[in-house]
Amino acid sequence: MDFDDTPDEAAYRERVRTVLADRAGDLLHVAPGEPVDARSREADLRATQRVLAEEGLVGVTWPREYGGQGGTLVQQAIVAQELARARVPTLINHIGIGMCGPTVIAHGSDDQRSRYLARLLRADDVWCQLFSEPASGSDLAALRTSAVRDGEDWVVNGQKVWTTLAHVSDFGILLTRTDPERPKHAGLTMFVVDMHAPGVTVRPLRQMSGGADFNEVFFDDVRIPDSERLGEPGEGWRVALTTLMNERVAIGGAGSDIGQSAESLAAHARDRLPHLDPERQALARQAVGRALVAALAARYTGYRRFTTLSQGGVPGPEASAGKLGGTAAARLVADAGVRLLGDDAVLGATADGDETWQKAQAYVPGIAIAGGTDQVLRNILGERVLGLPAEPRTDKTAPFSSSGGRR
Amino acid sequence: MNFDLSDDQRDAAAGAREFFTGSVPLSAARGALDGDGAPAPGRKALADIGFLGITVPESAGGAGGSVLDLAVVAEQGGAVLAGPSLVTAARAAVLLEGAPDLAAQLADGSAAVAVLDGPPTGSAPSVDAADATLFLALDGDTLVAGEGEVVPGRPLDATRGLARVRLTSRRVLAEDAGALWARARRVGAVVMAAEDLGAADRAVLMGVEYARQREAFGRVIGSYQAVKHMLVDAWVGVDQLRSLVWWAAWAADSAPEELPLAAAAAKAYAAEVFERAAETVVQVHGGIGFTWEHDAQLYWRRAKTDRLLLGDAAEHLDAVARLAEAGALG
Repeated sequence: MDFDDTPDEAAYRERVRTVLADRAGDLLHVAPGEPVDARSREADLRATQRVLAEEGLVGVTWPREYGGQGGTLVQQAIVAQELARARVPTLINHIGIGMCGPTVIAHGSDDQRSRYLARLLRADDVWCQLFSEPASGSDLAALRTSAVRDGEDWVVNGQKVWTTLAHVSDFGILLTRTDPERPKHAGLTMFVVDMHAPGVTVRPLRQMSGGADFNEVFFDDVRIPDSERLGEPGEGWRVALTTLMNERVAIGGAGSDIGQSAESLAAHARDRLPHLDPERQALARQAVGRALVAALAARYTGYRRFTTLSQGGVPGPEASAGKLGGTAAARLVADAGVRLLGDDAVLGATADGDETWQKAQAYVPGIAIAGGTDQVLRNILGERVLGLPAEPRTDKTAPFSSSGGRR
Repeated sequence: MNFDLSDDQRDAAAGAREFFTGSVPLSAARGALDGDGAPAPGRKALADIGFLGITVPESAGGAGGSVLDLAVVAEQGGAVLAGPSLVTAARAAVLLEGAPDLAAQLADGSAAVAVLDGPPTGSAPSVDAADATLFLALDGDTLVAGEGEVVPGRPLDATRGLARVRLTSRRVLAEDAGALWARARRVGAVVMAAEDLGAADRAVLMGVEYARQREAFGRVIGSYQAVKHMLVDAWVGVDQLRSLVWWAAWAADSAPEELPLAAAAAKAYAAEVFERAAETVVQVHGGIGFTWEHDAQLYWRRAKTDRLLLGDAAEHLDAVARLAEAGALG
């Protein structure tokens, strides 16, 4: 047992560090935990990804023939760790790299691959994932956005929502219903959609945390050529599973904290605890200690997953536990951080204008919902890891149109 | 990074599982509770298979193994509520580093050792003291060994062998032993967290097995999310506790500067996780889980006891916060 890089990993990490240092002047940097608004920083974010792509640090695990590096999941995790360490913000095209691109690789035509993938890696095009709808969140297969064949095109009508980065996206992968007479999972088809096409309307949604990272997207008679289909008609669910499996790899966690880090809470406690009333200090220490233990438990569990990757394994359903534990820790860390503010904790920012901990607190509810709600993750773990049966589902085999799904 | 057990440690865990499964029926924990027999497998069996000497140096008749080696064995003992505790062996092995004669007696079982918490003139209830004959205690800043007068109370969990002790003889083993004592207590806390890991894991498994069989309202209760999610939360806790136990045991062996933080984190988390697992297994079983006859209560008793031994969660959470404030996270 050890926590050291293997010689290969150490050499790779050194190379990444060197690149990030040499190209520092060409990269965007932010304070730890500082939110980055994709719209106002769009040009810088695209430029940053382009530089990293030139240096071979984007699409690390993608096959070489599609512009990737043919590297390992461990190398990808090392790049992510080093980007965080160098305070380079999350890549603007992280959804494209982690989810959309792999789906195009797996299910797209050669023509689509050659047109899209290299541009995606360089952030010439930014991509989004158009899955969730107002009436289908966790129950994704209940989606209603329709695509109807018309000659060589499909005509799309409907609405997507919670679409991260749609407001800066050039393309998206779009899951639609093409046959409502079949059971819900069997009547779906996936497309690549041009986000600048006539009939596509994007409206940013402001979150309770104050930022606007995601959007609602409306489709009004949007025409998509049949050549932009990903997979066969009716195979959309299988294609979507490719995307979601890659999402698990992307957010499964390999030792990096979700939300504010344990270190930032420790530093915050060092600054603020002495300023609290003496009788409050003992209580605050309990909250800080509990949060740090949860954060360390999640972090070291991530190290076990990282080891699995390092040994050539792939993340299984137990990776869902990583997000669940990380979310629980993020909640405790944010809460302890806010409590340390004393009287300022009831305000939206401290007297000197710092809103780090209030923001962290307001961001937590979103973490517990995005990328699989806590409840869906518990179902996955209960059913696939503990072997408990699923809840009965009355809608699984009936035609979608007969289960209340007709528009 | 290789944050995983070695093949040897996996083999040792499998061997320990076989040993404990074969030698420790849960009826032993129940019998001890009913005043009808002693905890199993007992000191002699643990000494004979070498578990009491895992961390005792080879020169003193032990195996010269690591705390992590001991922790993977302790996890298996915890799963069946074995007694006496390997916490005692771990802690005593540290304290007896300068007394190889006594360390040899610990390893071969010829001395029935217990480590006392609190003053030697009247200790707090201490693990495995009830049937011990050689006691280790901290008297001021002096490490002493001696015989004692043993006063067991009525047990909450009879497998822990808790008793108050007043030392009646006194051999000085080391002066200025405060730091050694603290390290031994931390290693003991890590091994107790490992035993709690095994027990919590087994408790969750019991709950899952029952939830897959028991039917209510026309289907098995494990299909209901109210039951399923309770079990999943307990399981996630166990999965994460395993990470902290491994880290803390590794720190005891290889990164002593990390041990205070890691041991406190592991012990605090073990208290919480095991208690939740034990309460969950009772709740999932419903009425039958609340009966004296059902084994769920045996895990519940161990959880309610262990959470307060070697420092409660409040003490360890306070330590984690103070260490972090002082820069322990780097």
